[in-house]
Amino acid sequence: MSTRLFQVDAFTDRPFAGNPAAVCLLDGPADAAWMQAVAAENNLPETAFVVPPDADGTRGLRWFTPTVEVDLCGHATLATAHVLATEAGVTEESLAFATRSGVLTARVSAQGIEIDLPAIPCAPLTDEAQADAARAAVGARADAEVAVSGGWVLVVLDSTDAVRACVPDLVAVAAAAPFALIVTGPGGDAGDRGPDIVSRMFGPNAGIDEDPVTGAAHCILGPFWAERLGRPRLRAHQASARGGDLIVEVRGDRVALTGRAVTVLRADLLT
Amino acid sequence: MPLRLFQIDAFTDRPFAGNPAAVCLLDAPASEGWMQDVAAETAMPATAFVAPGDGSGADRSLRWFAGRTELALCGHGTLAASHVLLHEVGAASDEIRYATGAGTLTARSGEGGLIELGLPAHRPVAAPEAAAAAAAALWADGGAPAVETWRGFQDLLVAVPSVDDVLGLAVDAPAVTALGARCVIVTGPGDDGGRDTSRRPLPPAADFVSRVFASPGGLTEDSVTGSAHCLLGPFWAERLGRPVLQARQASARGGDLRVEVRGDRVLLAGRAVTVLRAELAVADPVSRGARP
Repeated sequence: MSTRLFQVDAFTDRPFAGNPAAVCLLDGPADAAWMQAVAAENNLPETAFVVPPDADGTRGLRWFTPTVEVDLCGHATLATAHVLATEAGVTEESLAFATRSGVLTARVSAQGIEIDLPAIPCAPLTDEAQADAARAAVGARADAEVAVSGGWVLVVLDSTDAVRACVPDLVAVAAAAPFALIVTGPGGDAGDRGPDIVSRMFGPNAGIDEDPVTGAAHCILGPFWAERLGRPRLRAHQASARGGDLIVEVRGDRVALTGRAVTVLRADLLT
Repeated sequence: MPLRLFQIDAFTDRPFAGNPAAVCLLDAPASEGWMQDVAAETAMPATAFVAPGDGSGADRSLRWFAGRTELALCGHGTLAASHVLLHEVGAASDEIRYATGAGTLTARSGEGGLIELGLPAHRPVAAPEAAAAAAAALWADGGAPAVETWRGFQDLLVAVPSVDDVLGLAVDAPAVTALGARCVIVTGPGDDGGRDTSRRPLPPAADFVSRVFASPGGLTEDSVTGSAHCLLGPFWAERLGRPVLQARQASARGGDLRVEVRGDRVLLAGRAVTVLRAELAVADPVSRGARP
């Protein structure tokens, strides 16, 4: 017995960039311990497991890192929609997934794949000691703006170059941001064709020194920059070593993330 | 035609144990940059690239990458590559000679699915000057047993009196990295009678056990390390007075090897399991302008 498994680079149009995920097409629900073992064996940031649609057309979707099951994963959801549309002959333009975070939808079009996620508001960080620690952890100026949302801390830098050049002190990041620290800055260095916003995400407390491309971070970045720049639709670039691109559109309390994906590996899983 | 890639668990007979490796079968030598890209993408401890022989007498050429770093010698990647050639694609013969950066290596199909690798033997040289630092780095809780330290190849071997000493490490990762070895190998005899088998049961047949720590890109514990047994084999063969030994690497995933010292070679025998059979969907290395 074998199971079809695909490795996909998400939020990019080139192989070896974006954020990699494995997508496993199941015939039906599988044992969680087995899914965890497969995800550990893949050793990718996330492995997604998707089952065939129910009578309403909704597909069950679960995501595992090499060590735990997670509540929400944007890039593996994009990767799953990509596999269904390009590898599994699914022709529906709109896909619904039943997940730990409720029903998520994905829309497949010529522009890429759009996934619909909750908008996550942030607020100025009022704890000055924590704000100073966050600035110091990423080498930001003493007057750099710092915002917070749950376990996320956002440090706003002056320019794309400053975001790219940032060398974080990961021990200090772990102390300053309970979950992860995002550095972000305005795009514009590349003129009209470049991104509107750039970012990087450091999550040593989540076991990720730097994440290649982070869907969830853009649920925070979208509303933050949409308000600042006065328009709801933004081109975003995550300036990690692998790099990734997405379009973020804020729609009330939801964020639509649109990106592309590339299949790297088509496999039969033999276990 | 797309390139074929396999994911193999080496030095075990069951999936999700042993040491995983990807094996990529090439039609022609590929560029280093492309191999680095693929190895980084597989996210495996090692990705082995097998290309046709270069006409110098070897059947195949073999290189190993861990992410963007090329490895000097990789036993489990060689076992994985041999499992693919012997058991997945049906190599023409049951013996393979590889040209590698570590010289010519051989693989032979043995009984009952065993694959026997011929690797260089590394002779241990006593290095008592390293003992204090090794004891402090590996038993950071202060519970170090009596240790002996030896060097061979680019590795540091730390020998302890019992299995429990091997299982009861309290590793200070930066201090282990600072020991400056390719691999830090902790080893003890396989059966000392009074060990606590509830923690990590070992097959009673293990003549010696080991754990191995390697540093590139942050210290990690290796699951199963073939190349470390190029030093462990000669060390224990001399100590136990016999050339054929059963070895257990007591990592979380765990692995089993049979080690035979024969002159300046070590024969490592083990099994392997195919977990994934895949086609690479990315452009092949030739169309990317690779040069041999």
